[in-house]
Amino acid sequence: MKAAGLVGSAVGCAILAASAITVHGQVRSAADRLRTGATAEKPKVAVANDAEASYCTPAFKEVLTRVIHACGLVGGESRRGCQPADVKTLASINDEDFNALFHPLKSRGAVILFDDGAEKLDDQARQIIEEKWLERRGARYFFVVARASKTGGADFNRALSHKRANSVLFLISDKFKASNPDIDKEAGLLWLGSEYAQLGKEYCEWNLSRPGKCTPEAINRSAFISWVDCQL
Amino acid sequence: MSVQTKTPLRFGAIAPSALALLASILGFSFALSSALDYTQHLDRQVHDIHCSFVPGLGADASQEGACRAAMYSPYSALFKDQYWGGIPIALFAVGAFGFFAAFSLYLLLAGDKAPRRAHQFLFLAGLTPLAVSALMFVISVTKLGSFCKTCVGMYVASALLAIAGIAALIHDLRRARAALAVFRAPAAPPAPARTIAVTPAAAALEAGGTAVAPTLPEGEVPAVETPKDPEPAFEPPRTGGFLLIPVWLLALAIFSVVPSALYISAMPTYATYVTGCGKLEKLTEPNNALLRITPAGARQQATLLVDPLCPTCKAFHQRLVAENIFDKLDTTLVLFPLDNECNWMLDRALHPGACVVSKAVLCGDRKALDVLEWAYDRQEALLAAAKDKDRGVAEVRGMIREKWPGLDACIDSKETKLRLERTLRYVVSNQLPVSTPQLFLDGVRLCDEDSDIGLSYTLSKLAPDLKRSR
Repeated sequence: MKAAGLVGSAVGCAILAASAITVHGQVRSAADRLRTGATAEKPKVAVANDAEASYCTPAFKEVLTRVIHACGLVGGESRRGCQPADVKTLASINDEDFNALFHPLKSRGAVILFDDGAEKLDDQARQIIEEKWLERRGARYFFVVARASKTGGADFNRALSHKRANSVLFLISDKFKASNPDIDKEAGLLWLGSEYAQLGKEYCEWNLSRPGKCTPEAINRSAFISWVDCQL
Repeated sequence: MSVQTKTPLRFGAIAPSALALLASILGFSFALSSALDYTQHLDRQVHDIHCSFVPGLGADASQEGACRAAMYSPYSALFKDQYWGGIPIALFAVGAFGFFAAFSLYLLLAGDKAPRRAHQFLFLAGLTPLAVSALMFVISVTKLGSFCKTCVGMYVASALLAIAGIAALIHDLRRARAALAVFRAPAAPPAPARTIAVTPAAAALEAGGTAVAPTLPEGEVPAVETPKDPEPAFEPPRTGGFLLIPVWLLALAIFSVVPSALYISAMPTYATYVTGCGKLEKLTEPNNALLRITPAGARQQATLLVDPLCPTCKAFHQRLVAENIFDKLDTTLVLFPLDNECNWMLDRALHPGACVVSKAVLCGDRKALDVLEWAYDRQEALLAAAKDKDRGVAEVRGMIREKWPGLDACIDSKETKLRLERTLRYVVSNQLPVSTPQLFLDGVRLCDEDSDIGLSYTLSKLAPDLKRSR
């Protein structure tokens, strides 16, 4: 009986010691892994970001990046928008290539048409600007590329183009500034005047604010608007 | 005084001890396997776990779900607020079953020489693992809705141990009755005789004669009956002292506590880890696109990113509810469907149909939580329905319409689409990881590593008021 008691006690102590040492060792091992980070490599998780569409080619992004940096969308500069000369310098590409960059935005954007020599938005223009602004999805920047037809002098057309771009910006600000305080950092204006990147008649097939009233002259009395789904 | 014992009594001394030893080894193996699985996770990483009816055997992902659910549940460990992950209950079982293994071995070796108190103790103490197992079984049924195989192994071991204890008690009572019968018997009956050759003198003595019989030649000795070989004498069972049971109970307690004490002593400090997973830069969304869920008892600001069709979100929500945490959160709910139909951050849908379900939650307005919980309840069916590339979304819409007929127009509206986009933009503006769920308490992110077994501890650090008020 005594022998049985001794054997039982010995086995019990052995079991207790073995299990306690095993558990203790495992905890220390886990603590070491925690301290040294010696664990299985964690899968990299993407960080939420703006959309990146397939049309965001390196060339397209290069131009846009130059524009947003030079035109005050990044860095908090007070400058707003780029003048035609700036754009031409920044883009460093010819007119056709510059226009071609925006072709993928044909369905995403719209062309706002203006009266001759005017910058006032009509009701259809207002409606389409509001609609397009609300179709933001994952885009980071909203571009307004204003133009003027070749009618009139260069200085007049530059000023007119600038006013047209501002008309779009003011409408957006009036309507959406309260709900989107970062509009100044999101909307980029380019006013091209009449000397650079004039649109051909084929652009009359784009989404126009005045469908059916498009001529080679009219298509350049315009402002092209679109969100750009690129991470710039 | 002695009487001859019976074979059933001898068998009855061995069988309960042997069964108890087997049950204890089985329970010890399952408990150790479970405890070591738990211990591995102290490095805040996710590891494979053993989940099998064979102790220590691994399991594929489909099988380990129930074991993982049990491990992540609030019932898997004690003192979870004080220690990261708490002290796994299986660790107490390791010590207890280890003690019972040693005690059973002692009983097996001692046989009937063991004091009666030993059998009584095995009966009494042997019921305690069964009581704990019964409690955990009820929790599995009512709270978890599933059974983990390792847990079932421990339930079975506990039941076998209890059966062994009952058998030991029955054996003890039979011995006591037998002893009582012997005590009350006037005299022991003569032993049955058998025939052997005896000398004439012996025969005469046997016959009661007094004279010395003549000597006979070899081979002419008459046959008479003599008693059989004596069977082992029945010894009345020794009761044992009163102190035996308290001493064994103390030993059981020591065995149960020692592994846990060593576990705690070796645990690392987690305080610096739980606050290192980032902060929410913007707590609010300027257009009020985010949902707000404020139960009556809410006292802790929280921002919760979820995808209604994400299984981890469902499990996390259930954990918050089960631990009575959700009702104490003033929750800003950020819907973050991992579905490229509306979420531009993905090139494919991880949870197809999540966009339309998220819109339904947004449209739920005051019933948003009800819609979300319905989506969690029906998650598998919704995901299955959404798999069909052509009709998937329509099927999901149909299920939503059936349950929430009033939401149709709202789900289709431009306003809802815009609201969901604004919700997604809120995630972008905070540069949060593209993953769900994510919980922020007063803007401090709960690390993914702390959202399962370390949840209670982490909450006690990030939101001490929340834990104190529980």
